[in-house]
Amino acid sequence: MVTPHGIQLAAYLISSSYGDLCSKVCECLLRRGTLTLAHVIRYTELTRENVINCLRVLIHQNCVQAFAIQQEGAYGVAPRIVTQYMPLFDNIIHKLRAPKFMQIVSEELGNDCLEIFQALIQHGRLSINQIIDRNKQTADSSNVDVVRESFNKLLNSRFVERCPAPEPFLPPPSEDEPTTKKRGAKSKIAEVPKTTEQLALSAAAPMESMRFLMEMDDHSEERIEESSNSTTPGVKRKRDDLTSEEDMLDVNEKKEVLWRVNFEEFVRRLRHKACISYVKSRINDEAGIVLSAVLELNKFSETRQKAENSGYLSINAIYDEVIKKDGGLGMDFERVRLSLEQLGCQTIENGIDESYSIDLKGIIEMAQNEEVESVIMKRYGREAYRIFRLLSKTGRVLETDKISDTAFVEKNDTLKILFKLWKDNYLHMEKVGVGKLTFLMWRINKEPLSVHVLDEMYHAVLNLRLRITHEQDQGKEILSFPREKLVGELGKKYKLLGKVRVILESSLMNLDEAIMLFHDF
Amino acid sequence: MSFRGRGRGRDRVRQAKPVPFELFPEIEGLGKTENSSANIQLIKLSSNLQKYWNSSPFFYEDRSELVEKVQKIDIERYSERNPQSTEAKPPLWHFIKLDTDHVPAELASRGEKNEKHVVKRVRWSPESDSKKMDLFEKLDQMYQGQERMEKKENENEEEDDVENEDDEGEFSDEGDYEHPQYVDDDEDDYNMADDQHELKYY
Repeated sequence: MVTPHGIQLAAYLISSSYGDLCSKVCECLLRRGTLTLAHVIRYTELTRENVINCLRVLIHQNCVQAFAIQQEGAYGVAPRIVTQYMPLFDNIIHKLRAPKFMQIVSEELGNDCLEIFQALIQHGRLSINQIIDRNKQTADSSNVDVVRESFNKLLNSRFVERCPAPEPFLPPPSEDEPTTKKRGAKSKIAEVPKTTEQLALSAAAPMESMRFLMEMDDHSEERIEESSNSTTPGVKRKRDDLTSEEDMLDVNEKKEVLWRVNFEEFVRRLRHKACISYVKSRINDEAGIVLSAVLELNKFSETRQKAENSGYLSINAIYDEVIKKDGGLGMDFERVRLSLEQLGCQTIENGIDESYSIDLKGIIEMAQNEEVESVIMKRYGREAYRIFRLLSKTGRVLETDKISDTAFVEKNDTLKILFKLWKDNYLHMEKVGVGKLTFLMWRINKEPLSVHVLDEMYHAVLNLRLRITHEQDQGKEILSFPREKLVGELGKKYKLLGKVRVILESSLMNLDEAIMLFHDF
Repeated sequence: MSFRGRGRGRDRVRQAKPVPFELFPEIEGLGKTENSSANIQLIKLSSNLQKYWNSSPFFYEDRSELVEKVQKIDIERYSERNPQSTEAKPPLWHFIKLDTDHVPAELASRGEKNEKHVVKRVRWSPESDSKKMDLFEKLDQMYQGQERMEKKENENEEEDDVENEDDEGEFSDEGDYEHPQYVDDDEDDYNMADDQHELKYY
């Protein structure tokens, strides 16, 4: 469920990157949900050729996913297969944060990998041959091995993944029930049935084993032979895969594999970063070090996107990892245990080993609460902040008088503040009549509150982007001058333009962190 | 309708005062700018990305509308060579594989004309645009001092020469842009700064 300002923001991002026509198509899909090609043409009132090209661009840039579904024919007509298109809202918003992803890659893997990664961000999807070809042109180096090596590094860090299938076929529900139950058992929320869109996404996704696996192409078969002397299990598996692939497909039509950015991995990393920085500011540095050690150990066993708890790790493993971190050298077992307790974790003690699992969801929720409380403080004042905190700590409804007593606020002021908050959708109010008196009961509903705060943040991001473009438009004249003429008055204006832009864009990036806190973490 | 006009006749309707439309009204209580932290690398990356997308074939424009879009902000010149700038973008199928393996069946291109095309050279980076200095690159260079600027200008001019030989019929007047001495033979002083934009894309 996407919020109204979220849709506006997504449409704006698409229009600034891919043009107005693509943005129209995208907005139509976001507002009306999953549609067929004919419906899109009808609702957007664009020509068929335009809609087709826009969809091609959007699919290529990972903003839209197509799937085939069997539609029941009318009475007497055989069922036919139609293709439907669904918008991928998360991926569209990820375009806003692409610079952050690039920064992570450049810090961890260096410039060669950054070059390839940048290509993937710009183009959405690329095959390895296209990457090599592009590298020849842009970097002027025709060293294929370096390119392949950098690409493999990206794969191993899981920053890059295989593209999903372009048009998976979803069998009609009656046949599908046993398999959804099986899939349901793996996830924690086993009772909630998956929507068509979720089924389409999981059908399109490549198998986990293939997702980060790269097969050698034809012209590098000699390299397989060369490296066969030093066979590692990985290489052998690849050769088997290659031969089985060849058996399945015709030798002439080898499907060229396309690769794209693996957003999941980046979201995970940013999530870890946010947790660690929150813990550092809230508790102390040591707790931050311990948490980062735990998350590091957990990295490859995190299968679900929003893991609630880290896996159970023994104290020895944690200790070993802590020592490796900077600043962790001086810590001994006691201090590690102390920090773990401060972090709030569940422990299992079975005999010799103590295992700890950290509640990540709790940390995220605390961070979210702090964010909302600071907004309330800024906007409505200190007393409103106190009232809000009171309501959020007690999970249940409170009556007006009780609130005013507990929070030490005047009764009239309490009422005013509560009404203001209620009008702006932060609180939930119920009227209870007892005899002749009516009482007002107030409560915070966490879910609608998160959605509302998220919507406001999308609105703010949209405004920031518009303002940035506006300021740039205003300064167009100054920007068109050659450098040498920018002296004196003009020079000052020019510098001011630069400063304004820096501030606005930095605020945008900071706000984006808050958005991720509520939406992706 | 006797309400039109300013109080003509005997109508007592107060005319609405035209309030100037403020695009970005002032907000009280916003913090000072010193509190925000600057992250120049992120900004540079983001502006490069935006630059690329605006000039890439992914920035899809309607073919028939393109012809009308050639309006320039300033007065049209005799010496302007327009058609080449609009055709500078390579077609979509250079970059997107349009066969059924990669794209849903109804979107796949069925014409053989595309398959027969051997793409001799896919233009991966819009080279003509890479020489246009963005605000940040300009700022950077301003801060880095005179000698660096001159060195870079010399390099750019050399690269421009090489590229002008390479590119097939691609028009770029970077030479003028980079050259410190602006040679302006004919036009009047008011329009001096107008020559340096082909594709405005900030």
